[in-house]
Amino acid sequence: MGFWQVLEEKGWYFFVTLLGGWPETLLVAAGALIYALLFGLIIALFRISRWRLLRYPAIAYVEVFRGTPALVQLFVIYFGLPDIGFEPTPLQAAIVGLGMNGAAYLSEVYRAGIQSIHRGQLEAALSLGMTPRRALQHIVLPQAIRTMLPPITNFAIVLLKDTSIVFVVGVVEVMALARNLVTETLQSAVIYLMAGALYLCVTIPMARLAMHLERQRQVWH
Amino acid sequence: MLQLPEIYAENIHRWLPELLYFSLTTLKIAFVSFLLAVAIGLLFAICRTSKSRALRALAIGYIEIARGLPIVVVLYIVYFVPPQLFPGLNWQWFTDFTGAVIGLALHGGAILAEVFRSGIEALHRGQREAALTLGMTPTQAMAYIILPQAIRIVLPPVANYAIGLLKDTALCSLIGVNELMNDAKSIAFADYQPMAVFLLVAAIYFAMSYPLSLAVRMMEWRFSVSR
Repeated sequence: MGFWQVLEEKGWYFFVTLLGGWPETLLVAAGALIYALLFGLIIALFRISRWRLLRYPAIAYVEVFRGTPALVQLFVIYFGLPDIGFEPTPLQAAIVGLGMNGAAYLSEVYRAGIQSIHRGQLEAALSLGMTPRRALQHIVLPQAIRTMLPPITNFAIVLLKDTSIVFVVGVVEVMALARNLVTETLQSAVIYLMAGALYLCVTIPMARLAMHLERQRQVWH
Repeated sequence: MLQLPEIYAENIHRWLPELLYFSLTTLKIAFVSFLLAVAIGLLFAICRTSKSRALRALAIGYIEIARGLPIVVVLYIVYFVPPQLFPGLNWQWFTDFTGAVIGLALHGGAILAEVFRSGIEALHRGQREAALTLGMTPTQAMAYIILPQAIRIVLPPVANYAIGLLKDTALCSLIGVNELMNDAKSIAFADYQPMAVFLLVAAIYFAMSYPLSLAVRMMEWRFSVSR
């Protein structure tokens, strides 16, 4: 059977099956994003702390998680942790794995964002009579968020794409379903191209959004 | 409780040589696909900045698609799709290694095309004109004015890409290439020591990528000082 014939006869079935994997893909991506946003902030605060006891572990964390493949990290979490008594479910392993990996990346984004706000800004706000809280709320944070939003959007895109490896720990998302369909029907050409097209439908609009945010930031500056 | 030191003391003489041997395959994949990605990146950066609309559209299309797809999907498409689309051709030469290298290079080419483009666009045309007006030959202008500045802009992101690439080679295990990650899996599950083996493998990847990331930091520091 040729490509077009397969597409005509089985295309709808493949499409519906692959679409069924999206809730799981989005769940992993959203879970890992929240995990990385929160945990990354903690790492960033440790990273810029004055105490070495906090700073050095944070530096080590970032170096180790950015220096090793996410795939290896997932394997350590899902297959390694049972050796010491934890047995994460596939979904937990995927979210924690991608989340810890992302936290290392986001902590650098936070750090750059915080450090990009000149100390003078805070001092000026305080000398104008603002309380530290108001200064943080009205002067420092709005500027930091503007700086960090484009890289965070870019990170969300990377994260969404990275969910395509979590089938290795048994999460049944888009890529896992694609592989199952290929085992079932052997039509790898149609199935993988369709899976790719589905990813593009999400990632390309997100990339546009990131570009738009970046341009807005430059206008503000 | 897991006694890692004892496990390593007992097994490392078997594990390490084998893992190091397969990390050579990992380095080979990374090296070949890096060279290929640089070539593809240069080609499409030139297309992307060209005056011809068709070439620009072609480059934009390629870059958007290759950057929008997960690497795993690129690898699966490159390795599994062409033989099924053109079953009449001879696919003997198309091994999993070849598929992995082409897949990683197609993905990296799109990243590098954008890097090279930013390098080309960052240099104002006036630089070259000024150099020529000062009496430099075009070759001199290229060698002393354009290239040194372009390399400064482009080198750190290229090195960052190389670090990412080295880590991404682990994904080649998913299409069956016998590299470090694949070998680690077979050792880990044959010896029932997943934690010990995967931590060791993480250490090997770290040992390969960390020198590169130190080099990037040094470059960024040096380039920012001399500016």
